[in-house]
Amino acid sequence: MPDRRSRLCTAKIAPRLATAALPVAAALVAALCLATASAASASETLSLSAGFTPDSPGASTNFSLTAGFSSSTGLPPSPITRFTLYAPAGMEVDPRGVDTCAPTALEQHGPAGCPADSRAGFGGGVGVLELPAETLREAYTLDFFFAAKTRGHLRLLVYASAAAPASVDLVLVAKQVPAPKPYGLGFSVEVPPISTLPGAPDASIESAFVTVGGANVAYYEPIAGGRRLVRIRGIVVPKRCPGDGFPTEGTVDFADGATLSVKSTIPCPRNS
Amino acid sequence: MLALTCAQSSAPAQAKTATTITPSFSPDQLGAKGALTLTIAYEGERGLPSPVRRSVVKLPAGLGLDIPTLRSCSAARLRAHGASGCPTQSQIGSGEALLEGNAGSQLIAESVKLWIFLGPLRGFQPTFEVLGQGYTPLEERIVLAGTVIPASAPYGEALAMEAPPVPTVPLEPDASLETLTLTVGARPNRLARGANAVVVPGSCPVGGFPFATESTYADGSASSDLATAICPQ
Repeated sequence: MPDRRSRLCTAKIAPRLATAALPVAAALVAALCLATASAASASETLSLSAGFTPDSPGASTNFSLTAGFSSSTGLPPSPITRFTLYAPAGMEVDPRGVDTCAPTALEQHGPAGCPADSRAGFGGGVGVLELPAETLREAYTLDFFFAAKTRGHLRLLVYASAAAPASVDLVLVAKQVPAPKPYGLGFSVEVPPISTLPGAPDASIESAFVTVGGANVAYYEPIAGGRRLVRIRGIVVPKRCPGDGFPTEGTVDFADGATLSVKSTIPCPRNS
Repeated sequence: MLALTCAQSSAPAQAKTATTITPSFSPDQLGAKGALTLTIAYEGERGLPSPVRRSVVKLPAGLGLDIPTLRSCSAARLRAHGASGCPTQSQIGSGEALLEGNAGSQLIAESVKLWIFLGPLRGFQPTFEVLGQGYTPLEERIVLAGTVIPASAPYGEALAMEAPPVPTVPLEPDASLETLTLTVGARPNRLARGANAVVVPGSCPVGGFPFATESTYADGSASSDLATAICPQ
């Protein structure tokens, strides 16, 4: 069996709008290869963790991310309007061998409308609906597909789906964006207001998890007279690890105007 | 020619996953050398069955395995080199399995090819290994370790297999086993000289050859099933 050790690491940091002292404390924690990272605005709190599985330098890998959203007001956190992720420098997305899915196919037919070998990853989480008499939590799923590049930039289609009590099917587009140092790759996704039940406010997110890429993904490709197995590199662990680990950062914009940014460090592989 | 079978379910009341076993001999002649095929199906009460952790298959008394040249292969060798890394004579069977797992909104299925090998003796107890190799969407190799243990009447011996968790992708549940088909020995049309073969018992009990399976699952539940291979005409 391939090495499937997961090395998730989370870290807590202060929000961009917080006092200067808090980021310093947070940076210290990160330098110690902290296990937890979070940020808080006046009402929202964000925690983030990321990991490579396996984490061998240069290996095809699964990049996984978990995020938690909460509010200090006792109410659900404000709905998310944008999520931006910055991944470590040196992390590659190698789409050779994968197919692409058209947004219209995903919108019209759901994941079944996309070629199997266009799949980039999976995910899910829990959403929150605030009703006058109660707060409802609802599980949702995420499906990721490669889309055709735009001006040389990667795009991922995100199919978000929930069944009950509110039925939601959304197609979002995660676009590659420039990443500041020390990051090497950025993706940003705009999230529209998610209406749920009549009279209820838009849905909020309580938790999310995403896993993209894979250590051993392969598909059969038809060739004349048969088929051949095509191995997908997908996401590749950086060949070098900075001394204090692989840096990642997530930034979330909320509908109430708050922006939270959290840095998380993935520990260097033991054998690096 | 496959023997007719008749199965009766006997799942415990608290079981969340149901099991059915379907045995067949080829040829279905008393005392004949050939193959025994066992198909075990798992069905979840709601959605996917819980992943199997241990499975015991009880075999009828008198069933034999003819091994002209005794060779074995270790689990470590199988993991490292696959089926081609083991002596041909150590292979006693083959099969296939269907694994499924939930990921995102989708049910992901993977067909797995199986090879069964004799393992080294553990003490004086025979062992076997089942090598599973899937190719797409995940290129995965797993090895299930098994032992042959005595079983009380009306059975003779039992095959006990430990199944490791089969991860899909991080943060998603392990894969579930939907069906498992194992053929031990070789069917008559493939029965080469010197090949390993199952020997059908020389006499058939009233009601047929008894088989049973007992499985335990990752969620702590258990299920069982009984089946009978009808006596050859």
